[in-house]
Amino acid sequence: MPETKHGDKFIVPIGPQHPALKEPGHFEFTVDGETVTGASVRLGFVHRGIEKAAEERTYIQDLYLLERICGICSHVHAMAFALGVEKLAGVTVPERAQAIRVLVAEMERIHSHLLWLGVAAHEAGFDTLFMYAWRDREKVMDLLEQLCGNRVNYSINVLGGVKEDVNDVIRDGILSAMDYLETRTVLYLKLVTTERTLIGRTRGIGIMEKQTAARLGTVGPTARASGLERDIRLEAPYAAYLQYPARIVTEQTGDLEARFIVRVKELYESFRLIRGILSTLPGGELTTKMPRRIPEGETISRVEAPRGELFYYIKSNGSDKPDRVKVRTPSINNFASVMATAVGHKLADIPMILSGIDPCFSCNDRMVSIRGSEGQQAVDWEELRLYGIEYYR
Amino acid sequence: MKIGSLIGDILKSFFKKPATILYPVERIHAPERYRGQLFWEPEKCSGCQLCVKDCPSNAIELIVLDKVNKRFVMRYDKDKCTYCAQCVASCRFACLNMNSDQWELASLRKEPFTVYYGKDEDVSFLLAERAATSHLHSTE
Repeated sequence: MPETKHGDKFIVPIGPQHPALKEPGHFEFTVDGETVTGASVRLGFVHRGIEKAAEERTYIQDLYLLERICGICSHVHAMAFALGVEKLAGVTVPERAQAIRVLVAEMERIHSHLLWLGVAAHEAGFDTLFMYAWRDREKVMDLLEQLCGNRVNYSINVLGGVKEDVNDVIRDGILSAMDYLETRTVLYLKLVTTERTLIGRTRGIGIMEKQTAARLGTVGPTARASGLERDIRLEAPYAAYLQYPARIVTEQTGDLEARFIVRVKELYESFRLIRGILSTLPGGELTTKMPRRIPEGETISRVEAPRGELFYYIKSNGSDKPDRVKVRTPSINNFASVMATAVGHKLADIPMILSGIDPCFSCNDRMVSIRGSEGQQAVDWEELRLYGIEYYR
Repeated sequence: MKIGSLIGDILKSFFKKPATILYPVERIHAPERYRGQLFWEPEKCSGCQLCVKDCPSNAIELIVLDKVNKRFVMRYDKDKCTYCAQCVASCRFACLNMNSDQWELASLRKEPFTVYYGKDEDVSFLLAERAATSHLHSTE
């Protein structure tokens, strides 16, 4: 075995294609023995040019394009865009439509958190929990299919309202599924706090202090697990969250166990909200008239996705196509926390720390140009096309 | 701290039916609202083309044979369709609907994905016309 000189670094590259990651991302971990001493990330392997594509489609077509940014939180993307465009057009959406939007968003949160619970359990080597969590997630998926007509990209939003209504059969179905899921969630909460196989991988791992979490600008359950009270549903209530206020769930320890607990406890919050909405669903229309040409102006729209704050900036030039759509997804805020908390841990803990933020790689990947940075160049559309052809020749 | 908290669930699962089904031997009905293949009724259509304009994936095309007599044929590409039902929402005359029974749309060939809707004589007229022009091109 060759002798390593003092000061030599050993770098373990992970990805872009790697069995531990379901999506492409490149990580380099500097290790000393098994301990990680430095970490860096490179993203951008699944850049799809959605923001540019959105400029070339009408607002109605964009609704479905942007819904496909994320396969798990598809509804919140469409909702954030629809809320922004409705704000620009000065249209008031009927209360019933807003309540149904929140209902679907909360059901989506349940499905997303259960999916994450399964994935994280799988990374921890606890595949039994993975199987049961995903079996229970099917209940919500089936309900969403029943309510919206699609399983993944629900497409229940239209500009100015929603397409589908809640009838008695669907309401009873949702309520009985919520009762079932609540009993399961009791078990899951007990499991993540008492099961030794899981605690061995989570307690005291990836600790992020409140100050660090605030400095790195983390959002969503990752921030709430470190004691930061950040939730757009409370800070800037949108859609029907004023009528159905959410309660914040925080934990103080900031380790992986806290992230498990926060997400599982948020399930209870979603059950409570869903029951509240279904018991007092306001009557009235589902859609309102929406102009095809949106008045000139710009706006921002923020919603709480299952992973944290989702931000949309929409600029209109008065035509039926947006001038600019900027999306910032929660995963990009949380990635810095992985790099910060990885140092000092065993390499084997890294997949757990990474999945602890519930990363969504394809959500992240967008062009960012930094003013004044070295090597900055501006190319026009034609030059870029030719560069692409040359690059892959 | 304890170990094996899920053992009760595992033992119970031994005596339960599997949560999955043996598709395609067993089949379940799709929910009533499930968005399957798109269908178009030519009788009510005014030819306003809103559905075509709003389609995010250019899956539908309304071919106008005679605007005055309202002779339209709709070409629908099942493979391009994203099943978002925006066209159904856009249509003011309820000409379009998505059938919840027609969801097993996979095919090994490309041809079955393109469907023409309309009155029989209009569709056969259009197809005959297209066949004639393509024949003309091939002989040139």
